[in-house]
Amino acid sequence: MTEVATLRILWGQRLRRDRWQLAIWVLGIGALALFSATAIHQTYGDDSSRAEILQVALATPAILMLRGLARGAGIGAFTFFQIFSFLALLAGMMSTFLAVRHSRAEEETGSAELIASTPAGRLTPAVATVLHGTAANVLVALAVFAGFTAAGLDPAGALVAGAATGAVGLAFLGVGLLVAQLMGTSRGANGFSAALVVLAYVLRGIGDATGTPDAGGTVMTAGPASWFSPIGWGQQTFAFTGDRWWPLLLPLALAAVSLGAAWVLLERRDSGASVWGALPGRVAARRGLNSPFALALRLQAGSIIGWSLGGLAGGLLTGSLGSAIAAVDLADSSATAVLRAIIQSQGASLTQIMISVLFSIVGVLAAACGLQAVLRLRQEEAAGTAELLLAAPVSRIRWLTGYLLLGTASVVLVMFLAGLGAWVSLTGSGDTSMDVWAVWETAAAQLPAALIYLAVPALVFVLWPAATIAAGWALLGAGVVMGIFGGMVGLDQGIRDLSPFTHTPVPNGSTTDWSGAWWMLAIAVLAAVVAVIGMRRRETGTA
Amino acid sequence: METIIQTVDLHKHFGRVRALDGLDLDVQRGEIHGFLGPNGAGKSTTLRILLGLAKATSGTASVLGLDPWTQSVELHRRLAYVPGDVRLWPNLSGGETIDLLSRLRGGTSGRTQEGRDYRQRKARLCGAFDFDPGKKGRAYSKGNRQKVALIAALATDAELYLFDEPTSGLDPLMEAVFRSEVLAAVERGATVLLSSHILSEVEVLCHRVSIIRAGRIVDGGTLDSLRHLTRTEVSFAANGLDTRALAGLGAVHELTSDGGRVRFGADSDRIAEVLPALGALGVQGLTITPPSLEELFLRHYGDASVAAGAAGGEPEHARHRHLLGARGRD
Repeated sequence: MTEVATLRILWGQRLRRDRWQLAIWVLGIGALALFSATAIHQTYGDDSSRAEILQVALATPAILMLRGLARGAGIGAFTFFQIFSFLALLAGMMSTFLAVRHSRAEEETGSAELIASTPAGRLTPAVATVLHGTAANVLVALAVFAGFTAAGLDPAGALVAGAATGAVGLAFLGVGLLVAQLMGTSRGANGFSAALVVLAYVLRGIGDATGTPDAGGTVMTAGPASWFSPIGWGQQTFAFTGDRWWPLLLPLALAAVSLGAAWVLLERRDSGASVWGALPGRVAARRGLNSPFALALRLQAGSIIGWSLGGLAGGLLTGSLGSAIAAVDLADSSATAVLRAIIQSQGASLTQIMISVLFSIVGVLAAACGLQAVLRLRQEEAAGTAELLLAAPVSRIRWLTGYLLLGTASVVLVMFLAGLGAWVSLTGSGDTSMDVWAVWETAAAQLPAALIYLAVPALVFVLWPAATIAAGWALLGAGVVMGIFGGMVGLDQGIRDLSPFTHTPVPNGSTTDWSGAWWMLAIAVLAAVVAVIGMRRRETGTA
Repeated sequence: METIIQTVDLHKHFGRVRALDGLDLDVQRGEIHGFLGPNGAGKSTTLRILLGLAKATSGTASVLGLDPWTQSVELHRRLAYVPGDVRLWPNLSGGETIDLLSRLRGGTSGRTQEGRDYRQRKARLCGAFDFDPGKKGRAYSKGNRQKVALIAALATDAELYLFDEPTSGLDPLMEAVFRSEVLAAVERGATVLLSSHILSEVEVLCHRVSIIRAGRIVDGGTLDSLRHLTRTEVSFAANGLDTRALAGLGAVHELTSDGGRVRFGADSDRIAEVLPALGALGVQGLTITPPSLEELFLRHYGDASVAAGAAGGEPEHARHRHLLGARGRD
């Protein structure tokens, strides 16, 4: 069989394996481009409103971290500023996962060995993976181009934006394949290469936040950190304003260099071997690992840290936005109308509403963090690891309450860090108004709704174990849609009232109505107590 | 003798499926009790009820004098359990899991004498089972996952060990290690309930066996009393010998000759009657294979018509012959 024929078979197998997954990635990225461009058209229809928002953004490093490089108030440039870094992040993730899936993961499960034992040999599968990943990124580029063009943006700029997204993806395809040679497990390779994608996102965020704005306050020159990031290189195309193609040579060069390095390693190493061995685990457990709670903490630590960082970042963003609003008068802009639709409040200041809106989103993070603690119970039960624990002298109730306590503690931790972040950044900006203290009140106000998402899924876990995970996320999703976005899309108040988030108090100084919080707290406690009592009578098993 | 495990008329229904259908099990202190049955017979369900992980639909179960459902924590302090398919936490190393499980059972690995003893036992068992405790749970093969649970169980000094097909995934060398560790545990005064479908393992280790089929015990007793019902297989080189004298003996059944060998089955308790005749023939290349549980097993599970025969009240011995006849030779 010729090399080309083998390649075609291997590529076909990759396409077949990935067809749904790739379709979702490509269409998802294209749809994100389309919808964000359309939304910007609707929300910020004219140059002056975009210039106004850009001036706020350029004064707020936290916004720049999350958005991109401002290149003027034109609709195309503004869209590119808003969404490109995120599109590139997604393309990078898609590419690294693809690279690892068809290299290290195959070696780990042993299926690569089956292929390697055929005349396909050692390098052809890697070539097929590169072809496959390149094709995927070309599709991503076309999807972004199509999305922006369909939203009515300049096709020439849309093409540059699409090419930049695809080029960043290609760079990370090479990086992913190189990391797959270095790491011994697919989990390690996925984690490390995804971390590199996030690092690229953060580096360009630092570059954007530390750049130098021009006199008009709507155009930014990126700081040096951006030049160390493939996503930063993509931004340098100045799509829709400069349409420069040459910066794309940088991600393509990175792709070539990392693919070359991967090639060299692949030629030299044994099948299944890696440059860095798997990290050895501990031979004995730490002193503290001696109870179901300690185990729960160990298992949930990663997710708690992740949500906590999210809470801290949300808090810092809230604080800096609050001070930005204090600096620029936005009282009558369309943005405040959006805020007023999310939160129903009387007598709260604009800054306070801003804090409440952003904290309600952080509150969703806290709820998700608590929810995951309960979902872990079900995962442990379904995976069969719970059986090891429950066959030891650990009662079902002790097992359940351990996770409930951990969930409660992590909900409180996420909101505490959000409060701390907002307090630090508000205080740092020199704000001394009442709003600084209201931050803590607002953070505490989010706790009851989040605790509902701890206790109610726990009850589901006791009564209908198999439904726990689906019901947990569905309840949270429905609560977010009805409670937080319900006002924006004009949902009926009766439906909005079904969501716990609707009943979260909005502190407004002295006349805050806390009754919703107390009711939700009571419901959470009741659900938790019923769950614990029910657990006494419940069998455990994987079914 | 003291009864360690007793179940009376135990039923467990999952919807309309009767996983256990009147199971009576009785395990005495100090014995290694084999719990034999094919997959799906209800072995794991029984063990889960004995552990209090599942609740019996009806009937009673008592383990170490405790009710497993209501007193499970107290009970678990005194027993150790090894599931048939061990699942580990993917991000905990084997050593960490072993330590965690033994600490939950009340063990310590602190700087006390007790802690030193525990660490010594753990190290010895890791060595004996040739197990590397430093790898993460997700990296272990099936056999190594099994070793984690085995080491965690054997490193604690339990009164009762419940093993659910514990050697699945272990190589023969490790099975031998397991056997000697179980014997050592019984030496210390422990009681063992060993669920298995591997006959040789049960045959080597167990004092008594209970055979479960379709949720109830269909046969049980000491190995000797069960063997008594089976036949010893005898074969020798044909060499043109006249075997008619053998065929006339009452203890000899199904005498055949093929491939240059003569074979027959002899009633195990009447083997002495056959030996003089063999001597008179001057047989060469004689092999006498003791009865195995395999035969017992086949009698219960080998053939659907056997079960029908049992229902018809056919005597034990007749059923047995019937099966061997149906099986034929080679």
